[in-house]
Amino acid sequence: MSCSFELSLCKLFVEIHCEVLVLRYKSNLQSLKLSVLKEEALELGGLVMVEKILQWPGKMTRSKANSKKQPGIDFKKIRRKIGRKLPPPKNTTNTEIKSKAIVLPEQSVAAEKTGLAVNKKGLTLKELLQQTSHHNPKVRRDALMGIKDLFTRHPAEQKSHKYAAVEKLRERIGDDDKVVRKSLYDLFKVVILPCCKEDNQELIVSLLMPYIFNAMTHLSVDVRMMAFDFLDLILEFYPPSFSPSYAEKIFLNYEDILRRNQYYLQDKGKLKDALSGLVRCLSLLPWNKGETHLHNKDDTRQRVLHAFEVDMPMNSNGFSYIIKNLKDLVPALINSFLEFIPLIHSMESLEGKSFGCMASILHCIDLIVRSIAYGTDKKSESQSSLGGPDVAIWDVTISSVLLKKLFPLFPLNPADHLSARDCGRLLDLNMVIAKIFFELNEWTCLPPNLLEKFLEFFENALLGKFFWATQSAKAVWEEHLIQLLPFIPKFVSRGAGYWTSRLLQAFTLTFRESKPGSMLKLACVSAIEDMLTYIESMLSIETSNPENLNLQDALLAWIEDLPLLLIQLGDKHPASSQAVLRLQLHIGQCALLNSILVCMYDNMQQSLQDFYCTCQEGGEQICYGPFLSLPRESQELSLCSLYYFSHLDQPILKSIAHCCLSDDLDSCVLFRIIEILHSAYRDGHIKIADYLSVFITLVLRFKVSPEFGSSGLKSDPLRQTLKSMTTVLCSYIAQMGDNGLVLQMIEKVIIDQIPQKPSLDNSCSLLRMLVTVDSKPTRLSEQSISTLGHHLSEYLMDAVQCIPEDDEQGTPSVQLGIQHYYLLPCFFLFDRCHKVMNLVLKKMGSAIYDSSLLLKSDKCSQHIRNCLNKVNAVTSVLLLMHKEAKLQQIMSLFKENIDNIVEEVISLQSSGKISMKIEEHEIKCALERLQILTR
Amino acid sequence: MEVVLASSSVDGGIGCWDLHTGAEQLRYKSCLSPSHGLISVGSRFIAASQLRETSATSGSVLFWSWSKPQVEVKSFPAEPIKPLASNHPGTFIVGGASSGDIYLWEVETGRLLKKWRAHFRAVTCLVFSEDDSLLISGSEDGTVRVWSLFMIFDDFRGQQANNLYEYSFSGHTLRVTDVVIGNGGCNAIIVSASEDRTCKVWSLSRGTLLRNIVFPSVIDSIALDPAEHVFYAGSRDGKIYIAALNTESVATNNCGMHIIGSFSNHSKAVTCLAYGMSENLLISGSEDGMVRVWNARTRNIVRMFKHAKGPVNNILVVRRENSTNHISSNVQTLSRKQGANLPPPLEKYANSIDEDSDMSTMVSLGGGSSSVVPSYISSHLISNYIKELQHQGSSAASEMETEKLKHDYQRSMQMTNQWKKMYENLNKFCVQELLDGSQATTLDENHN
Repeated sequence: MSCSFELSLCKLFVEIHCEVLVLRYKSNLQSLKLSVLKEEALELGGLVMVEKILQWPGKMTRSKANSKKQPGIDFKKIRRKIGRKLPPPKNTTNTEIKSKAIVLPEQSVAAEKTGLAVNKKGLTLKELLQQTSHHNPKVRRDALMGIKDLFTRHPAEQKSHKYAAVEKLRERIGDDDKVVRKSLYDLFKVVILPCCKEDNQELIVSLLMPYIFNAMTHLSVDVRMMAFDFLDLILEFYPPSFSPSYAEKIFLNYEDILRRNQYYLQDKGKLKDALSGLVRCLSLLPWNKGETHLHNKDDTRQRVLHAFEVDMPMNSNGFSYIIKNLKDLVPALINSFLEFIPLIHSMESLEGKSFGCMASILHCIDLIVRSIAYGTDKKSESQSSLGGPDVAIWDVTISSVLLKKLFPLFPLNPADHLSARDCGRLLDLNMVIAKIFFELNEWTCLPPNLLEKFLEFFENALLGKFFWATQSAKAVWEEHLIQLLPFIPKFVSRGAGYWTSRLLQAFTLTFRESKPGSMLKLACVSAIEDMLTYIESMLSIETSNPENLNLQDALLAWIEDLPLLLIQLGDKHPASSQAVLRLQLHIGQCALLNSILVCMYDNMQQSLQDFYCTCQEGGEQICYGPFLSLPRESQELSLCSLYYFSHLDQPILKSIAHCCLSDDLDSCVLFRIIEILHSAYRDGHIKIADYLSVFITLVLRFKVSPEFGSSGLKSDPLRQTLKSMTTVLCSYIAQMGDNGLVLQMIEKVIIDQIPQKPSLDNSCSLLRMLVTVDSKPTRLSEQSISTLGHHLSEYLMDAVQCIPEDDEQGTPSVQLGIQHYYLLPCFFLFDRCHKVMNLVLKKMGSAIYDSSLLLKSDKCSQHIRNCLNKVNAVTSVLLLMHKEAKLQQIMSLFKENIDNIVEEVISLQSSGKISMKIEEHEIKCALERLQILTR
Repeated sequence: MEVVLASSSVDGGIGCWDLHTGAEQLRYKSCLSPSHGLISVGSRFIAASQLRETSATSGSVLFWSWSKPQVEVKSFPAEPIKPLASNHPGTFIVGGASSGDIYLWEVETGRLLKKWRAHFRAVTCLVFSEDDSLLISGSEDGTVRVWSLFMIFDDFRGQQANNLYEYSFSGHTLRVTDVVIGNGGCNAIIVSASEDRTCKVWSLSRGTLLRNIVFPSVIDSIALDPAEHVFYAGSRDGKIYIAALNTESVATNNCGMHIIGSFSNHSKAVTCLAYGMSENLLISGSEDGMVRVWNARTRNIVRMFKHAKGPVNNILVVRRENSTNHISSNVQTLSRKQGANLPPPLEKYANSIDEDSDMSTMVSLGGGSSSVVPSYISSHLISNYIKELQHQGSSAASEMETEKLKHDYQRSMQMTNQWKKMYENLNKFCVQELLDGSQATTLDENHN
């Protein structure tokens, strides 16, 4: 609407301007050039007007022709009269200035600062920045404090001037005065950097970096140390700033500072800070970040199948040449570590700072060794033939340095006088050294006697032979142990001789003792998983070998613990539960190869019952296990592991069936359970009797609300679930093979259940199962036929009464009505066995008779209603039966039964018991409908 | 003649139909095959492993020749064998045992060349790669493993390496139901289906999982589209799902990621799928005993074959030459007299040391002449053949020679035709070029 209005307005505007232009054109045709006009038109109305102008008949061409015809005069003769003033040229600019008054600016010395942001002392940012380069350090410090104050007072000021401020302030990084540097550090840490979090961080970093590097090469060691602090601050604030271009310089500077150890031994706090900065730098190296895994996981979902893939991850590209610098760092680090060793033995008690330094140094070495290992991996992958000798030479230098200087110190034995706390600290150091050793051992061969020493230490650590003074110390120890655990699979798979069994035993102990849900437990589980394939393949070759027996014993011990662990974990630690379930599944997948293993795995199901659900003996009390509350993925895993049991026994099937009946179970999982049980059955892991009894239990016990909604099955998910579950179960039963045999097995159970009147839906499902395996001339026994005949009439009448009648007009005939769904199994029975129909018809007649008898004795309205309902129900059942062509024929065989029913109704009508008008009418209607049938 | 073979786990024999006319051919009798247990060995004869009672300790593999409905050769391997596979020329038969071992027989002699421990649980499916150098096996333990035949026959390297297999993909949590491999040699993709309701696509070159597709139901069979745009997955809910391979992730409908659509006319589970060779036809077998032929583009049923009452669990599409026309009658009678139409039964155990000197299997790569199909025949057999050739009397040798001559003749005919065509094309092209050139120059002149 509005758009079109605007458009028309535009047009109008254009029209008007056109007219104006036309007028102007006509009035001074001579002076105005058409091209000028055209330009104006273009500005005003665009193309429309240009077109309009061009449409003016002949104007343009004529004017052009006129101008052309004039003879070209190159120099016009101008006659000037003498004594007259030269007229001003036409294009002069008027330079006259007119003003009413002249206002002079203020000329006072003190600047006016109203409206400008000032700090507490009334100084503006500009003044403060100027003062930062004052020769007096106190003034400089005050200025920095002032800026801090100013920025905290006026954040807006900081926003607008931060780059300018940083540009000026960076000069102070290399300041000679300690206090100034400290306050600058504070200023950056507290005010400037936090504020720049969301801005262009790279710019700030690039502004600062040159000055930091400059300060790192300052003559004064203090300045250098401070520069490392600044670097650390920046890396903390913006980690990506650790780019390949800076990294080389950073490491060179670190190496340099570490070499001059005589300076910093006095001040260990500084060294500690610098070292922690180095740790940060090293852990920022792309291969130490450990994020690549997550990244890849996302990828598999999104990627195009044959997409081009770069061989190397992009982020590690620039860093690969740094490894050489890292190698140069190692000797310096070790030397400074050695400086601390005498301290351990000489001093009464160790201060925290030197311990911190030592720990950081070891951490650095660890990270470097890992980086080098990564680098060599890369090299050997990419250029296995070319880069061989080069790599080897580098490696030797490093490992020899470590071998000569670091490893002989191991283990750092505490002196007698040290407190328990210090012993714990030494233990931590030992753990890290062990880790470095094992790491190095992965890619170079180290002397066996050393290996022996380290393995012994490792075993002791696993066995928990060390003592911790405090709880936190234990936590730290656990963390170290977690990092050592991945080496166990490597040793085991390499076949470490008699150490294999010792390590495995110690490991088993750790696995048992560790707290469920702790990180240590999780690490143990993943270590077991890593060992699994190796152990399995060893066991598959032969089992008599004593070494293999050791492996088997260890495996058995782990398997034994799994179910209990699962139950202990409960639903509090979903990640741990998932890991354990995955392990369980993997064990199951390869458990076939050895009878002892199979037996062990199968035994697991007894203790696994509680994982699903526990039934109290006798009572109906059901206590659900953690299975129900675990996430879907874990549920799936635990179900899959069920398939690998060589036989599933009744108790566990029972507890699974109970789980299936729980309200909390998602229907998808329910169907998945049934599916997996079916595959287990197909492979002969479940006995047929147990399997069928699970089916019947499910169908019989599945709870559905007795009320029917008005909109049928669609709105009732539970009922829908039961229906589709029955369909699935029936199809499975049909696939089993010999239907006659299956019928024999389930007939008695189902027939026994019918007289107990399960709810309508459950009965219907039971009957469906029965009908599925029955055949055309029925194979049911006499006894069950009579039972069915006895109870089906009630079922039919209930079905008709409870379920809202189908809209015969509304629903298309293709979609079977709900009522029809409930009646269909009975119809099948009638078709296959006429006797059932006979019995049912008889029963219906007698039902009406019974209720009319009741009327005779007591004529209250309740009974009348009851009786009428029965008559109506019988009528509708018979009508529905009559609609089926097949049943119609059979019904004609039992005409006398139907007649009997009609007679009953007639006698009821004529007995005069029913007096009310409406009811009389109702019974009349019913009678009329019945009489259609008998015709 | 393109022929569809179908077998079932319930005895209904092996049904055989002409795919294009729909005419039923010979029905081969008494076959109770497990899934993936029916193969045609180099289009020369049919082999099927047999389901046996659980108590039976030995397996059973039967051979039928194309011309006779009765079983001709029976062999009883040491273990129950379920899946079978043979390489394309039909020189080897590979069988997967329920213990997880894989057996490899030479067809001509029936010798058991190799047997190795492949899986922790029963092997469920076996398939050769396009160039027959790799064998891919799926197992009940959920792993899919890729074996290189070179590695398997190389005892020295086998002892050195930790694992015989090239890759072991262990992504599935339940038994693997089907495995297929695409085209493209070492850069092919492998698609595996499992009872855990997923299909996974693996890269053969990188050995990584490329894609994981979760289906609404268990997938029992897979068929790859020849162009590898999609693959078809026959599921237990009676539908055939179409899953995208080339496109980026699509989640258009409620089926799930990567599933483009589905079609269904099956009342019961789809148990096996195969792709026609010459036309764009998809053939599916179902639990209700029907074999349906679909037009893969329109997804309409083109043809239906009724196989048996029981579930169909194997479908095979085989190109068969009309044997009577091809081989001259006298040769046929000769060979029939000898009973040499079919190879001897497969041996139960590997022959031990007696032929040790000759045992080292020779692998011929076909040399420089590309016409010879690469064949893997043990040296023992080759030396036998050489002896026969030297004696000149053997019928098999003469048959071979005539075959070879015929082949050569055909090839040279083809070559001449090709040359002729090329010459004509070249001639035509030159003439056209000349004409065009002259035309262009004249045009230019006119223009100027």
